[in-house]
Amino acid sequence: MFPGPTLLTALTAIIERALNHALELDPAGQQALLGSLEGPVQFRITHPISLTCSLHRAGNQVQVRSQPVEDPALEISGKPLAFAALATGDNRVFTDNQLNVTGDTALAHQFQRALDKLNPDWEAAMARHIGDVPAHFIGKRIRNAVSWSRQAFGALNANIEEYVHEESRALPGRRELEATFEDIDALNLRTERLAARISQIESRGTTDKPETP
Amino acid sequence: MSEQQTPTSPGNSQDDVTHFGFRNVAKSQKASQVAEVFHSVAGKYDLMNDLMSMGVHRLWKRFTIELSGVRPGHQVLDIAGGTGDLTMKFSDLVGRDGKVVLADINASMLQVGRSRLTDRGYAGNIEYVQADAEHLPFPDNSFNAVSIAFGLRNVTDKDQALRDMMRVLKPGGKLMVLEFSKPTNPLLSKAYDTYSFTALPLMGQLIAGDSESYKYLAESIRMHPDQDTLKGMMENAGMVNCKYYNMTGGIVALHVGTKP
Repeated sequence: MFPGPTLLTALTAIIERALNHALELDPAGQQALLGSLEGPVQFRITHPISLTCSLHRAGNQVQVRSQPVEDPALEISGKPLAFAALATGDNRVFTDNQLNVTGDTALAHQFQRALDKLNPDWEAAMARHIGDVPAHFIGKRIRNAVSWSRQAFGALNANIEEYVHEESRALPGRRELEATFEDIDALNLRTERLAARISQIESRGTTDKPETP
Repeated sequence: MSEQQTPTSPGNSQDDVTHFGFRNVAKSQKASQVAEVFHSVAGKYDLMNDLMSMGVHRLWKRFTIELSGVRPGHQVLDIAGGTGDLTMKFSDLVGRDGKVVLADINASMLQVGRSRLTDRGYAGNIEYVQADAEHLPFPDNSFNAVSIAFGLRNVTDKDQALRDMMRVLKPGGKLMVLEFSKPTNPLLSKAYDTYSFTALPLMGQLIAGDSESYKYLAESIRMHPDQDTLKGMMENAGMVNCKYYNMTGGIVALHVGTKP
């Protein structure tokens, strides 16, 4: 059955190597992550194909395994997109139930905090191969490019939002929408009160009947 | 050859002949002939493994480690451990409180393994023992896991070896047999045959200066029991929950069994 054990093992070997290499560049993050791996942490992709991998601590290294473990301390399951969102730092996947967590919830929080803390020093790794000055030059350019692209993405979002709401009027504005929702809520409340009063009057009418001689 | 067809037949245990590749030899001579092969290839063993399998043997061994369930503090026996690939990984897993025994019948292989592991800083939780898989020099119920990777096909009496591995395992312990097997796809099987009988001896000649040993390797793989036969042999030895995992289309299979 695809993917077979050899392919899966190759995949986990690549992930393990990349992960341990990244952790070497962030000793504080490494300690935090290793601290949260006192028991095996298992990830289970449920759809479109069923895949399981688990993280284990072995000395100062993290091992990635492709086979399900019998007694994981923590299991996180869900779709690949939810895992991708988690990897980019979006923690809402837990509250939206896109990812299900079973096991030690305190460990889950510890693991999440450890992941958030990870900040590998890529510049130091580059400096080992090409020297301090070129590494700093390239690192600065990359940081600027990342910062500029984040800013540009944010500005693009804001411009599109403004155009759709204010210029083309294709969609109502946020405040306009909030006022409408408040009106709908108030109307809903008044309707429910009215329905309650009508039912009260009806029930009083039916209980009064037997008293007439 | 008779061994693999009816592994548990009592008649076979009295038979004086066994296979050495495609040849029949006296049972008493097989161990020494296998020993000659490994004395010859020990120096280039790792390099040849990487070349012959194109590095994939590391993935097969990695998968074996994953399924072993070995944890800190465990006692592990790595039979036919050779140059110590599995021992190295087991040593990381068992930690300072555990112990790994690297056993090999061949002194040259054991020497290469010991030097390699010591050079890489693996010491303290590893013992080296020259031992025959059919007569393991350990007390009953000693190990949490026993592994034999690419070694069982060289053993003269496989049933006896499996029984002895079972004996030294603790109840609940796992036996893992990683060995060449039978490809499941006929096309792959043909390509694999061509590769084994032409490329392997040629590589052996060019790299290790010994084509005969690699011809023996290809032949011994063909004479080794297939997946289901080996599973049956493990069950006959008393293992439970026996199953096998085909890897790379069945070229290699990992058999796992548990001592009840």
